[in-house]
Amino acid sequence: MASTGKDGSDKNNKYDRQLRLWGDHGQAALESARVCLVNATATGTEILKNLILPGIGSFTIVDGHKVQGEDVGNNFFLTKDSLGESRAKVATELLGELNPDATGDFVEDHPEKLLQSNPSFFNTFTLVIATNLCERTLLQLSKQLWTNNVPLLVCRCYGFIGYMRLAVREHTVIESHPDNTHEDLRLDRQFDGLVSYCDSLDLDSMNKKDHSHTPWLVILYKYLQVWKQQHNGEAPKNYKEKTQFKELIKQGIRKNEEGVPEVEENFDEAVKSVNTSLVATNIPSNVKSLFEDPCCKQLNSDSKPFWILVRAIQQFVEGEGKGALPVRGTIPDMTADSERYIQLQQVYRNQAAEDVAIVTNKVHDLVQSLGRVRSKNAAFLRVVRCRSLEEEYNSATAQSQEIESHIADEDSDDEVVFYVLLRAVDKFYEEFNRFPGWYNDQVEPDIPRLKEFRFL
Amino acid sequence: MAAALPHVLSAELQKRVNECKLLVVGAGGIGCELLKNLVLTGFKNIEVIDLDTIDVSNLNRQFLFRKEHVGKSKSQVAKNSALSFNPETNIVAYHDSITSSDYGTNFFRNFDIVMNALDNRAARNHVNRMCLAADIPLVESGTAGYLGQVTVIKKSLTECYECQPKARQKTFPGCTIRNTPSEPIHCIVWSKHLFNQLFGEEDPDQDVSPDTEDPELAGDAGESAMKEKSSSDAVEAVERKSTRAWAMESGHDPKKLFNKLFRDDIKYLLSMETLWKKRKPPIPLDWENLPDTEVGTEEAGIRDQRLWAIKECCSVFSNCLNGLKDELSKQGEGGMLVWDKDDMLAMDFVTCTANIRAYIFGIAQKTRFDIKSMAGNIIPAIATTNAVIAGLIVMEGLKILNGDIEKCKTVYLNRQPNPRKKLLVPCTLDKPNPKCYVCVAKPEATVVCNTDKITIRTLEDKILKVALGMVAPDVEIDDGKGTILISSEEGETEGNADKILSGFGINDGSRLKCDDFLQNYSLVLNVAHREKLDEDKEFELVGDMSELQAKEEEETEKKREENKDDNQSKTNDVSDDEDLMVVDEPEEVICQPVVSRKRKAEDELTSSDTPKKVKVSDVQEEEDIVVL
Repeated sequence: MASTGKDGSDKNNKYDRQLRLWGDHGQAALESARVCLVNATATGTEILKNLILPGIGSFTIVDGHKVQGEDVGNNFFLTKDSLGESRAKVATELLGELNPDATGDFVEDHPEKLLQSNPSFFNTFTLVIATNLCERTLLQLSKQLWTNNVPLLVCRCYGFIGYMRLAVREHTVIESHPDNTHEDLRLDRQFDGLVSYCDSLDLDSMNKKDHSHTPWLVILYKYLQVWKQQHNGEAPKNYKEKTQFKELIKQGIRKNEEGVPEVEENFDEAVKSVNTSLVATNIPSNVKSLFEDPCCKQLNSDSKPFWILVRAIQQFVEGEGKGALPVRGTIPDMTADSERYIQLQQVYRNQAAEDVAIVTNKVHDLVQSLGRVRSKNAAFLRVVRCRSLEEEYNSATAQSQEIESHIADEDSDDEVVFYVLLRAVDKFYEEFNRFPGWYNDQVEPDIPRLKEFRFL
Repeated sequence: MAAALPHVLSAELQKRVNECKLLVVGAGGIGCELLKNLVLTGFKNIEVIDLDTIDVSNLNRQFLFRKEHVGKSKSQVAKNSALSFNPETNIVAYHDSITSSDYGTNFFRNFDIVMNALDNRAARNHVNRMCLAADIPLVESGTAGYLGQVTVIKKSLTECYECQPKARQKTFPGCTIRNTPSEPIHCIVWSKHLFNQLFGEEDPDQDVSPDTEDPELAGDAGESAMKEKSSSDAVEAVERKSTRAWAMESGHDPKKLFNKLFRDDIKYLLSMETLWKKRKPPIPLDWENLPDTEVGTEEAGIRDQRLWAIKECCSVFSNCLNGLKDELSKQGEGGMLVWDKDDMLAMDFVTCTANIRAYIFGIAQKTRFDIKSMAGNIIPAIATTNAVIAGLIVMEGLKILNGDIEKCKTVYLNRQPNPRKKLLVPCTLDKPNPKCYVCVAKPEATVVCNTDKITIRTLEDKILKVALGMVAPDVEIDDGKGTILISSEEGETEGNADKILSGFGINDGSRLKCDDFLQNYSLVLNVAHREKLDEDKEFELVGDMSELQAKEEEETEKKREENKDDNQSKTNDVSDDEDLMVVDEPEEVICQPVVSRKRKAEDELTSSDTPKKVKVSDVQEEEDIVVL
């Protein structure tokens, strides 16, 4: 009963298992991506396969090679009957079959030539992946992309060893989908909406059913008040106090006529939530460092929307937020009747909407041409920056000393050894136009030759 | 072929790769990637088995399949696709279940290595036992979202798949589902049962009508409940017999069905007053007078990701009944539908009925997207993770072929690099657990249950088959007389099925000799009688009695235990699992990295003073559905 139908359910079905990993925004980003692969090697086609299947928008293969016997042996996307044909063409055709949603094309040319004849060709991609490129071409390509802030993924495989490196000047993330996030409940900085809602409820006068269906958040709020009265307005701070606080909550469980405590799941949940919910609302260090970033501090007409957003949030934190980020506006599932659960949910949503509105206004003040703001995700902002390949490969700026310290110990199995080896292999290839050990009778003499390159 | 390989593999290993025979169990996410790798590595003799057919939702990662293959056999299409890329390999494909008796120990002995690419625990347990019985090395694997794991199992050398107890899949007591749901999952389970009652395979354990035998109705309120019961039993007997037939006779009239399920049954539940003394009573709904519910989401959003109002649920209910009725009639006399999370009508049906029931019981409603996760127990899956894991399977396979099985590792793929900056974390393989109820010489296990309540049927279906992973058990009582309780021969012991254990003199301390001929596996099952178990469980299994006693102590020590670098984490793992809601078998569930969380990492830097502990994240964390 495979279904095709309303609202693109076919596509939703096809991508269902991954939508649960990165959501609609992640999928949209993927579908608008234009990916360029330089050299359709086994590694290269494998990477493209894993991008085409989940549905990137388009891919382009740049490769001037013809299909050779060794390609057919290790590359699943090149077949024997294609020997002698353009590697770019054959790989594009076979990879294109994987997903009709991703359109593929190819340029049958060597990247070094393309870099000379039409360097801006590479600027139009969302991501360029280069596999087994020689050092000289790699540096040229990297320079071109660095200037235009296009991410470059460098990959190199050699037998059982491989290397991968991302070179991007700046990559900003608004939804970083972190693994473990605390809920943003603000029990330590109760906002007006929360206070007035919780104060409108009275645990003591409730009937049995309502009492055992009061959301645990409200219970925590109530007993926090009791605790604070007994402790000069301070919330439980340490393990010991939190244990006492849990006892306090447990005493609130209703008892039956014989004095035996009733089963009240919401109270159990409240007790369980003490440790995770009574935490200070703070600003994650990744976000703090964004606030300190020069890009945030010195906005100018070239500033990217991301940095304008960061600045607006920073202003919010210093102003209306009184040191905290905008409220996220979501609450976890809990035992409660739907009526009060929805009310409570609304309380948090309203506050989040209010905060977002303030940030939006600030953004408007900073620049007028911005659309929707997602400051709900303010805690998940992240920026990725790399060193340029040029810096890494230039002996003046390379971190040679640090690398040396890692490989000084002959017995060490530090993976830096592989890095040095692969770099040396590249140098070797540059000089001899072949890989070390390629000819059986040259294996021994190649070893000292390769060692020469150890000191870059 | 494989021209680049002579530089990588030694001539001797190359030869073994060419000559050996492999069995790949599963041609899904991992299986497709694995077949590709095996073909490229130069393996020449591969047999692949999978009982599944191709679904649209496979296409985002199972790259040997295309849209036009939907509905066809996975193993067959995988074989053909792989051969079209490389025709020089011999691939034999079986569209069949690996648990079938056609694949006995002799079949397994044909192979040098068995590689699992499975998505469920039952099949993993079975292959584990078959490989132990045939003494063939097994490479076991699993993925979930960005996480993955590969391990190697060899009889007497390593832990087997069942050496560490796995978190049991959470089930819910029947009366919670039928009478007193309190969480969305209870309503979802009820809806799936309803689907089966109306259109699928009828299962008496999946009754959806009010349960008059709710233990809560016993006790001091007994008298009125009993009175209630005797009068209602007659009514119910009629109803029960005819739920499906009655629905068919009415032409699956939405109004009639709605009013029975959501009005009359709820009213009947309300008459069991004891249940509602401490609970919020449900509110019956009437088709003619549906509430105008406010929907909690501010944005209109796509259908899958917004909550449906009750009226919308009802119109979906009506449409689904029509559609499903047609599907059912297409099947002809005696036909039935199989609930499938990827089938639109089946999924819509569960979404609307679960939400209507949730509304009635004052439980939070859920979006179709979320309900699909819970009802289908969906494990997210992507090609990248499967590709990494399939690569690692081949690496472990090469070590085995090279005679280096003791160098094999369990390798975990993490989402974030660990403190030592490793994304792939190798750990040494553990020795067999001397108390394992599967791989030791004379396996024993203990079942804790009420022998006055458990029937032979429950012993066979739930304890021996589901919990202990047997396929066709024979059981005799170790009472000196050798009374045969269960026979795998059809028709021999059917008469025993509904009798209770104590009826055969089985009580606390009894020993049952259980044997599975196909798996070549014998187990002595000790019975421990308890009047009542925690959380209304029917039974509980323990590896040995000492563990049972240790458990209570450990519970209290849990918090502290968790921070220790300590291998004794068995019961912790089980209780850590609380928030995992499992209704069906998971899709591509990992083979339990939770268990190994405390396992020491292989630390090759002998001089290193970094901590040896490796943190492997829980699978459960991976349900990271994004909240926008």
